[in-house]
Amino acid sequence: MTADPMSAELAAVAVGLTGFAEHPVLGDSPYRVSRDGEPYVPAGDGGIVLGLRLGDPVLGVAGDHAAPGACLVHPDPAARLALATYACIGNRVQVRTGPAAGAAGAVAGKRGEAGRVITVFAPEDLARLRPGDAVAVRACGQGWRPPGFPAPVAVMNIDPGLLAALPVQVSGDTVTAGVRLSVPSQLAGNGIGRPAAGWDLDLQLDPAAAAGLLLGDLVAVTGVDARWNMGYRRDWVTVGVIVHGGSPMPGHGPGITPILTGPATALRAVPDGAQHAGLTEAALKIS
Amino acid sequence: MKAGTNAAALIRQVLAGEVWPALADRHAYRVGPDGQPFVLPGMGGVTLGVHCGDPATGYASDHLEPGASIRHREPGANMALQFLTCVGNEVRVQSGPAAGATGHVIGQHAYVLADFTDADQAGLAPGDQVTVLACGQGLELTGHAAIRVKNLAPDLLAAMPGGTRPDGRLEVHVAARIPAEAIGAGAGMVSEYANTDLMGAYAGLGEDLSLGLEGLRVGDIVALADSDHRYGRGYRPGYLTIGVISTGQCMLFGHGPGPSTLMSGPAESFHLVDDSDANLSSWLHEPGVTS
Repeated sequence: MTADPMSAELAAVAVGLTGFAEHPVLGDSPYRVSRDGEPYVPAGDGGIVLGLRLGDPVLGVAGDHAAPGACLVHPDPAARLALATYACIGNRVQVRTGPAAGAAGAVAGKRGEAGRVITVFAPEDLARLRPGDAVAVRACGQGWRPPGFPAPVAVMNIDPGLLAALPVQVSGDTVTAGVRLSVPSQLAGNGIGRPAAGWDLDLQLDPAAAAGLLLGDLVAVTGVDARWNMGYRRDWVTVGVIVHGGSPMPGHGPGITPILTGPATALRAVPDGAQHAGLTEAALKIS
Repeated sequence: MKAGTNAAALIRQVLAGEVWPALADRHAYRVGPDGQPFVLPGMGGVTLGVHCGDPATGYASDHLEPGASIRHREPGANMALQFLTCVGNEVRVQSGPAAGATGHVIGQHAYVLADFTDADQAGLAPGDQVTVLACGQGLELTGHAAIRVKNLAPDLLAAMPGGTRPDGRLEVHVAARIPAEAIGAGAGMVSEYANTDLMGAYAGLGEDLSLGLEGLRVGDIVALADSDHRYGRGYRPGYLTIGVISTGQCMLFGHGPGPSTLMSGPAESFHLVDDSDANLSSWLHEPGVTS
């Protein structure tokens, strides 16, 4: 009997994928309905969003799920899901077509349901990107485990080269993650019950709780197990990267792409307050 | 006293649906809370032997949908069927060996779910046509402006105990109270479609998965703490949502027996009465008896 292949330290495989910069999509009505019953027009829900960068406040723009940079999708639904499943935070991307061809960027997160990969570029490159432009993604990370990582803690959605740049430390049998804040499971909204390999988990934060939260911050959710689908499990912790901003929709809010999940005895999340630095453009080598 | 309503002003609309087949993909397996792969029936088709009043959990099933699961073939018409159909509406079988049988809507779950007697359901199969007499969206309670009512047939509301109390609050009888930690898949969706899966009801699995909800029954009226379903489904401290358990046993993690939404508003607008008889079977149709 072999060991559990998911806990073995096997070499990560990189896969070349192609995504396409998304054009936002709306239905016949421009309106969605907010948690207070107000109709609103959703701006920035997918597509290419300018002027929003890692390190900006999650509630800093009047958007709906606005993510920094460009969302990538694929016209084939199954290929789109594969793109969102296999791409990992920190993966390198390169624009292949259009005026921005040749520009290099990186994956900063993912969004669920039909699947979106959030990519960041230098502002001057992003400004030349156009919906439909092809972007090559060097997808690598799913199935990877850092050597010597404590067995109870699962690692996902992260490029093998990036974890060392995040505030994550291993000491003996314990993983410690520095986070901006830690929230209880009842704040987990859209994304709960969905697979953590391809979905983000929206956090239903009130404005006071979200006031100091920045795009790219690490956040812990206690009582959520994200090894497969995301769901409630007592004494468990999930740590993710904030990948998009807030939303007026009930059940939605700033979302995390999970990167670590494990029992609270093996995965400690330590709020490091104003000192916190999560995923940054420097860590992604975006200039 | 019974709450006054605008029921006389509601319109009734004749909708068509079709008993929909169970669906699977070629990989068959899904993944349970502890990583266990499973292949279990429950969604789609006609699920026999589980009715209002019966335990919601304890079956070898995933997303158990009691009775007939109903859709419309055309996408736009299907959304109209899903949005406009209300719990308590009558469903009549139009074709097949069970033609003429009537049942009632017990909830939504991306299908309209209709409970019939086992005798009638034995003659039902995917492809059979059904007619839904839809009535209820737009229902309002006089004097309870803070409470939004949805997916609730006025006839069912009239049969439910409770009503307007002298202090002005709405009395609602509930079979169970649900903590906010239990809210699973369905958060963030509209509240006129599908339902809200409850975690913490995985009978027979680990204690660390339990929120004490293994005793829920199909058809139970339940109160969801800190849930605001007025304009969708979200967490909001101080709000309360009333629902009816319309689906049962789940193995898929983050999922579970689910209430379809009936009412939502500030918690102080409600007066809850714990009542084990607060179940659709008390008012719509008894288990095993022709409705």
